[in-house]
Amino acid sequence: MLTIGLAGNPNAGKSTLFNALTGARQHVGNWPGKTVEKKEGRLHLSGHEIILVDLPGTYSLTAYSVEEIIARDFIVESRPQAVLCVLDAANLERNLYLVIQIMEMQVPVIVALNMSDVAESRGIEINTARLSETLGGIPVIRTIGSRDIGLDALRSAIGEISRRPTGADRTLRIDLGQTLEVEIAQLQKWIESDPTFSDYPPHWIAIKLLENDPELIKKASGNPSLLRLVAESSQRLMEKTGEEPDTLIADARYAFIGALVKQTVKRPAQKMVTFSDKLDRILTHRLWGLPIFLGLMWMVFQLTANVSAPFLDFVDMLITGPITRWFSALITALGLHRTWVEALVLQGIIPGVGGVLVFVPVLLSLYLVIALLEDTGYMARAAFVMDRLMSRLGLHGKSFLPLLVGFGCTVPAIYATRTLENERDRKITGFLATFMSCGARLPVYVLFGSAFFGAAGGSLIFAMYLTGIAVAILTSLLFTKIIFRGKPVPPFVMELPPYRAPNARIVLRSMWERTASFVRKAGTVIFAVSIVVWLLLATPAQAGIGGFNTVAPSESLFGTASRLVAPLFAPAGFGQWQASGALITGVLAKEVIVSTMSQVYVGEAEIEVPTPTPLIDDLKQIASSLWKAVVLTGQEVVNIIPRTVNIIPGVSMPEANILGTTTQEEPPTALQAVLNKTFSPLSAAAFCVFILLYVPCMAAGAAMRHEFGWKWMLAQAGYALGVAWLAAVLVFQVGRLIGWGG
Amino acid sequence: MSELITLDNLKPGQRATVRRVKGEGPIRRRLMDMGIVNGIEIEMLKTAPLGDPIEYQLRGYHLSLRKAEARLIEIELTPESGTNR
Repeated sequence: MLTIGLAGNPNAGKSTLFNALTGARQHVGNWPGKTVEKKEGRLHLSGHEIILVDLPGTYSLTAYSVEEIIARDFIVESRPQAVLCVLDAANLERNLYLVIQIMEMQVPVIVALNMSDVAESRGIEINTARLSETLGGIPVIRTIGSRDIGLDALRSAIGEISRRPTGADRTLRIDLGQTLEVEIAQLQKWIESDPTFSDYPPHWIAIKLLENDPELIKKASGNPSLLRLVAESSQRLMEKTGEEPDTLIADARYAFIGALVKQTVKRPAQKMVTFSDKLDRILTHRLWGLPIFLGLMWMVFQLTANVSAPFLDFVDMLITGPITRWFSALITALGLHRTWVEALVLQGIIPGVGGVLVFVPVLLSLYLVIALLEDTGYMARAAFVMDRLMSRLGLHGKSFLPLLVGFGCTVPAIYATRTLENERDRKITGFLATFMSCGARLPVYVLFGSAFFGAAGGSLIFAMYLTGIAVAILTSLLFTKIIFRGKPVPPFVMELPPYRAPNARIVLRSMWERTASFVRKAGTVIFAVSIVVWLLLATPAQAGIGGFNTVAPSESLFGTASRLVAPLFAPAGFGQWQASGALITGVLAKEVIVSTMSQVYVGEAEIEVPTPTPLIDDLKQIASSLWKAVVLTGQEVVNIIPRTVNIIPGVSMPEANILGTTTQEEPPTALQAVLNKTFSPLSAAAFCVFILLYVPCMAAGAAMRHEFGWKWMLAQAGYALGVAWLAAVLVFQVGRLIGWGG
Repeated sequence: MSELITLDNLKPGQRATVRRVKGEGPIRRRLMDMGIVNGIEIEMLKTAPLGDPIEYQLRGYHLSLRKAEARLIEIELTPESGTNR
C-alpha cells in the first residue's frame, strides 16, 4: 500500500487538512517508544487506498527535538511515495524553510497553500503557478482546510504522484551557492561509497554532516576518513566566510526563499492591524494579561474538575446499578450463582471496566478545553504570560496548565503535557503533576481531618495541598539543578500564532480520538491491575481458613501481603496491617482507601448480592440518571460564575441548585471511632502525607506508561514511594521529638 | 554603521537588522530555523506582563523569545524607528 507523509509547521492547519482528507478513517496512537502523538488515516483514490501519515508539526528537521527526528526518520526510512507539505499561506517564508529541507531529502513533494483565505484577507497575493515553476514544477495547490476547499485538487495531485514509479521524482535540487556546493559535492563522493549511507540521499547526508548533525555524525562514526573530510570542509568554509557551516546553510536556504518569495508574493505596502493583533493587545496586556490568564485557568479547572462530575456519577451508577444487576441475573440464569465465576464478573471484571470508564467524562472535558485553547491560539499566550514564573522552576510557561489540571485528576494532567513542545519539559511536568493533590485524595484528608483535628481539619487539608506543591518545586529543582545540570535548557523560542475561531469538527474529533486512545492503551493496564487486586482479596492465604472468595480480608493473600509490608511503616507511626492494606488498594484509586478502611477496620461488610429489578425499572433509572447528569452539567457550567465571584472576599453569590442535591457526603462515623483508637493525630498526619505523595493511582500510572513509557513510569513510582516514606517518617519522628505525641 | 547591540535592548516599536546569531548549537540552530538569519529585520512588539519573555515580529509572524535568548542575537538598529510609539 502507498504511503504519503503529511508535514508542516505547527499552526499551519495540518490537522484540519488531515481530517478533511481522511474523515473517519483514522487511527491515533503514539510513535513507538516516543511521547509524540501519531495519527494515520486512509484515503480512497480511484480504486486504490493510500495511507496518510500525519508527521509531527515542526519548523525544521534537525536532530535536536524528538518531533523533528521522527519526521525525518519517517521520510528517510519509511520512504513515502510523497510528502504533502501544508503551508500557512499568510506566513510563507518560514513555512517554505521546512519544504526546502524536505526537498533536500529527495522525496517528491506536494505543496498545499492552506488558509489561503486568511492570506487574501490580509492582502497577500501569491502566484501559485510561478511558485510551482520555481520549485521545479511540484504541484502547488490552494486550500482552505476548514471549508473543504481545494481537496479535490489535492486528491488528484496525490493520485497523480501515486501512479508514478518510485524514484522517478522530479525533485528540484536547491542550489545552496557555489561556496557550499563545492564542499558538498566533494563529501558526496565519499558518502556514495559508504555502505552505511547506501539507503540515504547522499546530497542530504553531506548537508547534514556539514551542519554537524549529532545523529548522522554518530552514524558516520565508523568512517573516520569521512568525518575528517567533513572537519576539513568545515574548516575551509569558516576560513573563507568567518561563519559556521550551519549558519551558512540556514542563510543560503533563507536566501533562496527570499528570492522565491520576491518573485511570487505581493504584499500590501501598509502593514495591516488585524483583529488578532487587537485581541492580543488585551489578552497579553501588561496589566490585564495576568488576571485574564488566571480567570481562564480557573474556568479550565472548573471544567475539568467539576463539570465532568455529574457524568462521572452517571457512568458510576450505570456500572454499579443496572449493568451489575443484568450480569448478576445472567449468571444466575446460567446456574453459576455463588460460584467463583459470579465473583470474578461482579467484583473483578465489572468494577475493572468501570475503573476505566469513569475517566472518560473527565478526559473528554480536558481534551475539549485543550483543543479550544490550542486551536484558538491562546495556549501560546498563556505560556507567554506564565513563562517568567515557570522558568524559575526550570519549567516552560506551558507547564502551568497540566500542573493545575493535576489538582482535579492526575490522569488528564499527564495527557495535558502533550501541549508542551519539548520532550524533557513534558516528562518533568508529568512527573511533577502527580504531586498535585488530586480530588480523589481529598476524602482521605476529610476523614482523618474530622476524626483527629475536628474544626482544624481544614488546616490539615490545606497543609496537604501545600506539601504537594512544595515537593513538586523541590523535585523540579532536583531535576534542573542536579539531574539535568549542564544540559542546555530547552529554548523558549515560540511562535505566537494569530487567533482563530476553533473548528467544531476538529475539536470534537480530537476529543473523541484521544479519549478512545486512553481507553485502548491505558484501559488494559487499569483493568489488569483491578483483577490482580481482586484475586489477592479473594484467595485464602492458607488452605482450610475459608473458601475462594468467602475468605475474610485478614486471611486472604491480600492480608498476608499487607502484613508483610506493614513493619516498613512503623517508623511513620502507622504499622498496622489494615493501614498498609488500605495503601495497597489505594493504588487502584485513592478514593478506594476510605472504603477499604471501613472494610478492614470496622468489619466485613457483607457483599451485596444485587436483587434483580424489572428491566423497565432499570431503563427508567438510566433515563432519569442521564437526565439528571445533563441538568447537573448545565448547572455546573452556570455555577462557574458564582464560584468565581465568591473568590472575592466578603462576596457571597448563591449557586444554582435545581435538583436540591447535596454534594458532600458525611464521613463514616463508625470508622472514625475505630481510627481514633488506632491512630494518633500525629500518625494520622503522617498517613495523610504518605497518601498524598506515594504512587499515584494505577490509572495515572497507566497514563504515564502510555505517554512516557515503562521506564519513566517506574522511575516516578520509585521516587514517589521513597519521598512519601521519607516525608511520613519525618513528620512522625520530628513531631514526636517536639512532643506532639506519638 | 551604528554600533552592534543585542536584541533584548530593543524597545517596543523599534526595529533592527540581525547581524549575527551567537550561542550553542541547538539554541542557535533553533533561532535560525525560525528565520532569524543575517540581514533580516525584526520589530520588538512588547514584553510579557511579568517582564519576560518578549514578543517580536519578523517575516510576517509573531515570535516570543526569553531575554536570555534575545541576548544571543546581535543587531544593528534601524534608523528613525526609535520613536514610533
